[in-house]
Amino acid sequence: MYVFICQNSLEGIFSGVYDACASRLGHRNIRLVTGEPENYELFSEYIYVTPSEEKTRKVIHTVTSRFGMQFYESICQAAMSGEPKKKGKMDKADAIYETILLALANGDGQKVLLSLGEPCVYRIFELCRAANREACHHLEFLRFGELENGVLFATIHPKDYILPYLAEHFTDRLPMENFMIYDATHQTVVIHAAAKGYMLADAADLDLDKIKRYSENELEYRRLWLAFFDHIAIEARKNPHLQMQLIPKRYWADTPELSRFA
Amino acid sequence: MRIAQEMSLMEKLTILTDAAKYDVACTSSGVDRRGNGRSMGNCVAPGLCHAFAADGRCVSLLKILFTNECIFNCAYCQNNCNSDVPRASFTPDEICTLTMEFYRRNYIEGLFLSSGILHSPNYTMELICQTLDRLRNVHQFNGYIHVKAIPGADPALVERAGFLADRMSVNLELPTSDGLRRLAPYKSRNTILKPMRQIQNRITENKNELAVWRKAPRFVPAGQSTQMIIGATPENDFQIMSVAESLYQKFALKRVFYSAFVNVNHDSNLPVLPGGPPLLREHRLYQADWLLRYYQFSVDELLSEDRPDFNIYLDPKCDWALRHLEQFPVEINRASYRTLLRVPGIGYKSAERIVKARRTATLDFSDLKKIGVVLKRALYFITCSGRMMYNTRIEENYICSQLMSDRTQIPKDVRNGGYQQISLFDSGFLEHAVIPQEQIIAGDISAPAQAG
Repeated sequence: MYVFICQNSLEGIFSGVYDACASRLGHRNIRLVTGEPENYELFSEYIYVTPSEEKTRKVIHTVTSRFGMQFYESICQAAMSGEPKKKGKMDKADAIYETILLALANGDGQKVLLSLGEPCVYRIFELCRAANREACHHLEFLRFGELENGVLFATIHPKDYILPYLAEHFTDRLPMENFMIYDATHQTVVIHAAAKGYMLADAADLDLDKIKRYSENELEYRRLWLAFFDHIAIEARKNPHLQMQLIPKRYWADTPELSRFA
Repeated sequence: MRIAQEMSLMEKLTILTDAAKYDVACTSSGVDRRGNGRSMGNCVAPGLCHAFAADGRCVSLLKILFTNECIFNCAYCQNNCNSDVPRASFTPDEICTLTMEFYRRNYIEGLFLSSGILHSPNYTMELICQTLDRLRNVHQFNGYIHVKAIPGADPALVERAGFLADRMSVNLELPTSDGLRRLAPYKSRNTILKPMRQIQNRITENKNELAVWRKAPRFVPAGQSTQMIIGATPENDFQIMSVAESLYQKFALKRVFYSAFVNVNHDSNLPVLPGGPPLLREHRLYQADWLLRYYQFSVDELLSEDRPDFNIYLDPKCDWALRHLEQFPVEINRASYRTLLRVPGIGYKSAERIVKARRTATLDFSDLKKIGVVLKRALYFITCSGRMMYNTRIEENYICSQLMSDRTQIPKDVRNGGYQQISLFDSGFLEHAVIPQEQIIAGDISAPAQAG
């Protein structure tokens, strides 16, 4: 068995897929893993994949031209999901590799994605579903605060790398605002300037002092929001369990109304 | 009025939030509108729930009343003219600022504006229209707006509001006109159904306009909804669901909401509810509502005159399946989509996935599990390639006891009440007064339908 060790990124995984195909070792003898494996097997040979832009581009070209954009999007969503390795579940790089092989053999990407009976396709489906849910929750539970200089600033701690998706949504929604979304898990930040596009940047240069200084208005509206939130609940229907089910506790710290209880 | 003007925004907001909270609908769904690159806001069709309050209900819109001063005396409402509550009114500008500032912080998805009747229905509706007009045209707000049509307001004002809002609703309040006469003497079935019919007709007209010119102004693009109070009057579930069904069919409503009655006024006309609001009953009604809208069921299949109430212990779909065991088990690899929808444990999404997945492969129970079918409920009703999952008897009592051992199905308080002692299909579980059949609203509703 040959094990290809890929970096946990789109480029890493796609380069891994390219190398695995090009190695001519036989698909049955190949497995892909993301990140360093916890345990090494005695009779396996380990091959490190160096991420390469050219290989990634080639894989993307093949996938998009032969199986369409929808297939490509699903694969990307799966690749960007940050679900930690779970025991008994397929590694995401391996699932992507096998799904692409299946599509190559079958010729029809759409059909392949529907055959949930295949373990690799089912894994892709699971990962996409999880990433979609995470993205949706962040559209809802993300909160901006107005800083002293008028910039809207939000901090999030998502499991998956969903920042580009959020950036698209909020650029469409708030085109005339200056806003920033800081993804603390992946140390990335979205910067959007009013009436212009957005860009993704490394969060290393973020001024952590500045983002704690809120404007005067901000505190006033936050107070109003908390009052609204407390008064909208009906006392006779109080149901903390249901509340927790609908907004899981890991989101609480980043919202002003629930961080009081977190 | 003088007092209201001296209040701070904070005081007004708390008073008018408290006044609005018993309204149930807080959805922001039904319309997909991209941002226009200049003004603030867009809408996504499934809607977004921005927060969940302590009662577990979603906070999607800024749900407030314009004013809680009211000339009506509806017995169930805490804002009626006889009750002793602090009164306040917003100004249109205050509502606009609150909405804009909350919206840009991503607290809310839009505005839900309702109101008590200040001076007259027309005066109130005019104020509401002014507010919406400011919000849309001065503040350039492009997000979601849900607005109430005030019963008795001039049709021209309702039409004006409709072009500014995304969704409109007129509250039906109570399922029968008799209940309405008793508890809300200033409202009548006619003043409620007239604007509802007007909105429906205008939406249809607007669709034709849009077909001719796709940039025509849109009238209530997210459709209209309504709500009914459950448990304040002695109607049974069959009457309530018949009303809902005829509203869906005859008035093309998007949603009917059910609101478990909370006794806020302690009026002598109203029932005392020592066990709290009838939440489980509300839950069963919503389940049945979904069966009507997504699962191609009709009310006569679920309930009848002899069994007018839903089974407390089983959801309406399981209940229906148990009474129709002759139609089961169904073969997963061959049954039609419509048949699959009727199997307990299979939702409309998993039914769709089954239909797609079985084109390429023969499905087995392990595949169904992956697809999302709840096997602990479905296994009594399905076969895969001719085999059932376990060796089970297809027998009402046996399946019923198996289904009820699923603890997630029944709320804790009912479970602890000892369900084994009570006969399983005891429809007299919820005591209801008998109401003469001619008062059922299904007949009631068709009258103004001809008039309008």
